[in-house]
Amino acid sequence: MAQYSAQLDGLFDALADPTRRGVIRRLGRGPASVGDLAGEFPMTLPSFLKHVRALESAGIIRTSKAGRVRTCVLNRERLALAEDWLAEQRRIWEERTDRLEQFVAGTEEDPS
Amino acid sequence: MNPDLDLTLQRTIRAPRAVVWSAWTDPDRFAKWFIPAPMVCVVDRLEARPGGALVTRMSEDGVAFVPHVDAIFLVVDNLERIVFTNAIDSAWRPALPAPVPMTAEIVLADHPEGTDYRVVVRHGDPSARERHEKLGFFDGWNMVTTQLAQSVE
Repeated sequence: MAQYSAQLDGLFDALADPTRRGVIRRLGRGPASVGDLAGEFPMTLPSFLKHVRALESAGIIRTSKAGRVRTCVLNRERLALAEDWLAEQRRIWEERTDRLEQFVAGTEEDPS
Repeated sequence: MNPDLDLTLQRTIRAPRAVVWSAWTDPDRFAKWFIPAPMVCVVDRLEARPGGALVTRMSEDGVAFVPHVDAIFLVVDNLERIVFTNAIDSAWRPALPAPVPMTAEIVLADHPEGTDYRVVVRHGDPSARERHEKLGFFDGWNMVTTQLAQSVE
């Protein structure tokens, strides 16, 4: 549980940046080289590489080098951790709303 | 609303707005639905006004109760809107609540079949504290403390 929490901390830390979310969005369409990715973001290459490393250390992307080209691939399983966590929070609120609806519907029919 | 971190849901509840409102603001009614049965909810404080407390406990067996929610209301617009957060506790202290800090906004509107019920639950960064640390909070304090020491030694 503590480990799960630490993984989520890392995930959401990585997600809390528009550049990194942009990279995730782009990699959702398929793998891309660091060079191609960097061209899409208005910053220097060293700054962009920091974001790539942040995504990699959070496990959201994997990179591999072939010759002089480093390719980034999205790790969807890792990203699914964040999805699962958000879905769980949504489920809590949806069930709560279901119960509220049942309760107020019952209240209306039974004017005690 | 940030789709990367926030949750929204919308439901038409087949009951008048005033009934839904009282289910949210009357402690006895609130306790009936806020936690899933068979768990039992006890409402210690429900002060539906800005700054007012929302404190609940829960129990699996109806005997031993554990803390559930310790939050404050930020906005309470009669029959229209409720906003509360557990990022500040009922004593107005900044909190790091389990499982998650959040701000919940509940908006009620009339609907031909009853009440248009909308919820937005906003989440921040769960690791905000660690980030503050990484951003140099402690480095900064170390530096000024060192400077202070040097200036007086």
